[in-house]
Amino acid sequence: MKKRTAVFASWLLWLWLAAVIVGAFEYAPLAAKFIGQSSRILFFHVPMAWAAFTAFITAGVYSVRYLFGGRSQGSPRDPRHDRAARAAIELGLLFGVLATVTGAVWSRIMWGAYWNWDPRQTSIVMALIFNGAYLALRDAVEDAEKRARLAAAYAALGLVVTPFFFFVVPRITFSLHPEPVINARGRVEMDPRMLQVLLASGAGFMALFFWLHDLRKRVLAVADRALEAAAAGAPTHAADPVSTSPRTVSQ
Amino acid sequence: MQVSGSIEWVMVVNLIIWTGLFLYLRRLDRQVRALEASQEAPALEREP
Amino acid sequence: MSRPASTWVREAAAVFAKEWRSEIRTRYALNTLALFAVNTLVVVSASLGPLGAAPGRSSETLPVLLWLILLFAAAAGLPRSFVHEEETQTATALRLAATPSALFCGKLAYALTLLAALEALVAPLFLAVMNLDVARPGLLVATLAAGGFGLAAGSTLVAAIIAQARGKGTLFAVLSFPVLLPLLLLAVELTRGAFAGGGAPGQGGFQGGLGGAGVALIQLLLYDGAVTTAGLMLFPVVWNP
Repeated sequence: MKKRTAVFASWLLWLWLAAVIVGAFEYAPLAAKFIGQSSRILFFHVPMAWAAFTAFITAGVYSVRYLFGGRSQGSPRDPRHDRAARAAIELGLLFGVLATVTGAVWSRIMWGAYWNWDPRQTSIVMALIFNGAYLALRDAVEDAEKRARLAAAYAALGLVVTPFFFFVVPRITFSLHPEPVINARGRVEMDPRMLQVLLASGAGFMALFFWLHDLRKRVLAVADRALEAAAAGAPTHAADPVSTSPRTVSQ
Repeated sequence: MQVSGSIEWVMVVNLIIWTGLFLYLRRLDRQVRALEASQEAPALEREP
Repeated sequence: MSRPASTWVREAAAVFAKEWRSEIRTRYALNTLALFAVNTLVVVSASLGPLGAAPGRSSETLPVLLWLILLFAAAAGLPRSFVHEEETQTATALRLAATPSALFCGKLAYALTLLAALEALVAPLFLAVMNLDVARPGLLVATLAAGGFGLAAGSTLVAAIIAQARGKGTLFAVLSFPVLLPLLLLAVELTRGAFAGGGAPGQGGFQGGLGGAGVALIQLLLYDGAVTTAGLMLFPVVWNP
């Protein structure tokens, strides 16, 4: 994306999420059956959870692309997909933790308990553990090619297993999660203004996720290139300080 | 408008946090662009 | 496929036979699994006291313990099949000699039989020591079979991944736990139903009686299928650069 477009888009995002924040507190009504002002947390907690799961799926998809994506026999895999997957996992961890914390605080206000292994709580925790395990795996492999390949395989496995959390876990306990948007009757039952703010917030957080993802990918790419330059520069320009050493690319 | 300690303060704090975060991200974007540009340039001069 | 099916089967069978032959020579995995399981069982049983858990609670809590014993024993004994290959560098020979999918199936078959042996040891002991009456033994056997299958399949793939990394023991536990969790939850729920019978709603039993158990069992089998398929597709990528 050209720089000017990107800058304009980012300021638009600022405005959008600022409007969402104001709307969450001024425009949207309070939900019935919620204690005091606590329903306002909905407009942040839910989109963050959506972002966390989007991150998880993104990581899985990029991992599959990394492993199997349209390569002819013997051609190397595309490290950009690996970086994209890793960035998505990290962001999934970030948004997931935020969603979990906001959810736990809300749960405490509403029902007096921070945690009760509600199906959605369980599935977000499982996604977090998965993300953490992915990063632990990356840390445990030294060879770069192997690291990317093994991590991608693990993320792909995660993608396969995750649907079972959505269909299995809800059967086991009844849920304290309110069901205003998607429920058994399939109709949206939320106050329209609440719904507007919620969807606007969802869109905003998605855009924020993609922006953060783009930034993180680029940071990883810069770091990778610097490492390559250092590795390539060392044998041929041994002690020459004016060579293509890392000093020219560091800050 | 209500007295301080009301929900409006939470909103204001949220806005401040969001704006701060946003400005930080913009700065990060600028820094990364600068790094990317500096990595492009030496590549042209680097011998194969 | 470049090779005919019969060769593939022969390869998988050869891998399976090799695993068992080396296992019988050293009896490492069998000993590890058996000792680990028995030790854990002793700790659980001794700490619960001579009469076991309080009767009302037993069908809730004991299935969890049973599956934890199986899970930890598997984590102790199964990864070795891949780790050992990498350590003794026989992995290189395997990479040259065997088709990845055949290798995976051979290793999976080995893990399955190992786990079956483990369950055959642990389950009767567990029932005896905990003084449990099983309301639906058929369901228990089906759960042990389906759950054991998933445990073996998930463990085999994760073992292949961690064998090429550092920190193998703890890393296996870290990686396998999220993968195996749906299996554990389903298996525990089904085992509760098998112990308690159709009755208790809400916490332990199935609301739908046999129908509820059927749904959970199908989900477990679906999980087994999904993980096995993922293993077959991902193993070649994990095994070869």
